[in-house]
Amino acid sequence: MSPALFQTLLHASLALCVLGLLWRASAWFRLRIGPDARAATPWRRVLAVCHGVGAALFSRRVLRLPGALVLDVLLLRRLFASGKLRWLGHLLILAGFTLLLMMHALAPLVSARLFPGYQPTLVPYLFLRNLFGVMVLVGVALLLFGRWRAGLPSRPMGAVFVALLGLVLVSGFLLEAHKIASPRAFYRMAQQFVGAAGSAELKPLRAFWASEFGVAFNDLKGAIAPDLLARGRKLHGDACAACHTQPAAAFVSYPVARMLAPATGFLDAGGADTWLLYLHLCACFLGLASLPFTRLFHAVAAPISVLIDAAGPSSAMSAAGRASRRALALDACVRCGICDLDCSVAPLARYLGNPGLLPSYKLMSTGALAGGHQQRSGRKRDGLGGEALRAAEGAFLCTDCGRCTDRCPVALDLEDLWAAGRGDLAAAGLPAPAQWIKARPAFAWAEYLEASPGAHTSSEPGGAYALLSADSRLFSRCVQCQTCTNVCPVVAHSMGSAHGIDLTPQKVMNLLRLGLRDLTLGSRMVWDCATCYQCQENCPEGLRVADIMLELRALAVQRLGTVRGLKEPS
Amino acid sequence: MTYALFLGCKIPYRLPAYEASTRAVLGHLGVTLVDLAFNCCGYPARNVSRDAFVVAAARNLALAERAGLDLLTPCACCFGTLRHAIRFLGEDAELRAHVTRTLAAEGLVWSEKIEVEHLLAVLARKVGIDTVATAVRAPRAGLRVAAQYGCHALRPSDVTGMDNPMTPTLFETLIRATGATPVDWPRRLDCCGDPLHEANTGLSERMTRAKIADAVESGAEVLCTACPHCHLRFDAAQTGGRDPAIHTLLYTQLLGLALGLPEKTLGL
Repeated sequence: MSPALFQTLLHASLALCVLGLLWRASAWFRLRIGPDARAATPWRRVLAVCHGVGAALFSRRVLRLPGALVLDVLLLRRLFASGKLRWLGHLLILAGFTLLLMMHALAPLVSARLFPGYQPTLVPYLFLRNLFGVMVLVGVALLLFGRWRAGLPSRPMGAVFVALLGLVLVSGFLLEAHKIASPRAFYRMAQQFVGAAGSAELKPLRAFWASEFGVAFNDLKGAIAPDLLARGRKLHGDACAACHTQPAAAFVSYPVARMLAPATGFLDAGGADTWLLYLHLCACFLGLASLPFTRLFHAVAAPISVLIDAAGPSSAMSAAGRASRRALALDACVRCGICDLDCSVAPLARYLGNPGLLPSYKLMSTGALAGGHQQRSGRKRDGLGGEALRAAEGAFLCTDCGRCTDRCPVALDLEDLWAAGRGDLAAAGLPAPAQWIKARPAFAWAEYLEASPGAHTSSEPGGAYALLSADSRLFSRCVQCQTCTNVCPVVAHSMGSAHGIDLTPQKVMNLLRLGLRDLTLGSRMVWDCATCYQCQENCPEGLRVADIMLELRALAVQRLGTVRGLKEPS
Repeated sequence: MTYALFLGCKIPYRLPAYEASTRAVLGHLGVTLVDLAFNCCGYPARNVSRDAFVVAAARNLALAERAGLDLLTPCACCFGTLRHAIRFLGEDAELRAHVTRTLAAEGLVWSEKIEVEHLLAVLARKVGIDTVATAVRAPRAGLRVAAQYGCHALRPSDVTGMDNPMTPTLFETLIRATGATPVDWPRRLDCCGDPLHEANTGLSERMTRAKIADAVESGAEVLCTACPHCHLRFDAAQTGGRDPAIHTLLYTQLLGLALGLPEKTLGL
């Protein structure tokens, strides 16, 4: 590759990288997650972040930062707690990649200055480069194995990142191996440094490099005479030894070179050294340019997240600062899925077939809603459906147990993010069931159900056991004594309230007795029931009043969900 | 005496003092607690899907059964939910078969071999009131305490089996064992308001305030709880700059103090 082309590509990819980084980082100040984030303009958020950083740096909290930097950022302490294999894999990638970057990619800036006499073809650099490369590859393999073993799905952006990383490393190893074995590379160097054009003069050097350095000359057959080798060794000592030690130290590339030996002539003829170099460099440049847009961006965002967490809790931040931390979380998340494994409602997610309950999905749907990438109300032609509804179900079944926040290896305040996400869902017309159902009166819901296409089908919504509220004969025992109503704290505390209950418990039972269940589903009584079980405990006829209230809620979510998006019946 | 400790979703993150004091007190009284990888008890899912709630609860029961341990929970709502699931599974063979199939996919089995107990019942009946009282080193003499039972621990009594639902005495007996004086208060069996806080915040807060006012009027100095939902609701109702009308104390903290355990281990 010509120096001019190299420089052009380097600067172009560097420029793309910097612009991309600025664009991605600007989202931390633009993206609005949560109702309290709407008030703050991007500029106010920049100021809030500056203020927060300043306040942290000039307080005692700054003492926590060095520890967090070493233990949490460099040594990945939080990851260690959630699995040794995953931690080892990640640490190998982090260490191997950083060291390769410093020693190899930035050699003119780092290695050449720190170590006089640095040459990539000398020991220990030959060995170290292979070691670092193997560290990264083993690390990637461990992470992939871990994901596979835990049954975590692969994600497209993660796959792009892994593919690019793999391409850089594999092309690097192949390039090095090919250059070790390549006679063409040997002749080019010999011409430059020995200056001998005739093959007669190069014969001893050739013999020496074939036997000691693994160059695969296809015209060199049979045993090599010892005196020829000795002359070659001397010539090597004069012309080559300053920059070359035996490549066997490259413990990956050298065996590969030996394996490639039979094909070396073919590869040389095909100009493999040139296109392998192009492949390697282009993969590196592509990686650099795409850094802000692949999973590698977490390498920027995750350390920031960890340091913010070390500086103090979200609750101590200003609303504008919190808004920025939430937007940052979307980028710092590596989709590792540790949160999903420990999620306390994961069995519910499996049973309901809705991955929207799981933290890693919720993070994405929260970001999508805030970024306007999701159809806001989730309205479809025939009722509501789609991603937004599943996201809402997931958001409101979350128990806020805090396990995901506790286990997150990049210290995201997911509790805060979930609360903000629920606020956004409610503002987008997707609040908790109690809210959207109570938004219409019970009789209006009954009219919707009456007008809906499936209104008069007799089948019950899918469920494994008999419904308490299904059989109106069950309620013949109800003598309408009103004990349930008299002991109900909701009835008592609603007296004189502007938003009182519509039906008393006893009236709900009466409607069920009359077979008018649809009239109860949207009732405020059903949705404001405190489930204190006073009614059930006190019912002289042993009716399971509170159990029935809860059953009606589950029925309402299913039945009213089908007519939720319909226009008002005429 | 060994139990699988079912902390539920509220305690570890929102009320760690309850976990700390439960472990400290039970450890002191010779009860061994084992931690299993439990999931949500199923309580929030009851509003959405009957089957999902029973499946979630049954999975926890099966996990405890696999470990061969009875289950102890300090949360009244988890307790009630798990006991309800057992009732539903017992009265409907079709549901039972469905849940059995779902659990089998994970290699789990529930065959009614284990018990679900609330912390208070274990202290009063398994450890024994006498043992608890004998272990008290620093009696809280003269402290007037209002017992907050928690609806889901008490009712429906045919599911919870906790105590007489109209005139329960279990909590008061446990308070007396610490040397403190239980207070009789008219609203002691009322709902704390927590379950409908999201659905109807105003109504929920009226219920919470009514309870607090009643406890204060009845001369209680401390409102003693045995459920994270009740406890957090009372605390939330009393924040806002003013001094709290009444101090809330978890029963495990009250007992821990009476046992002479260091305040730090009780999350105080």
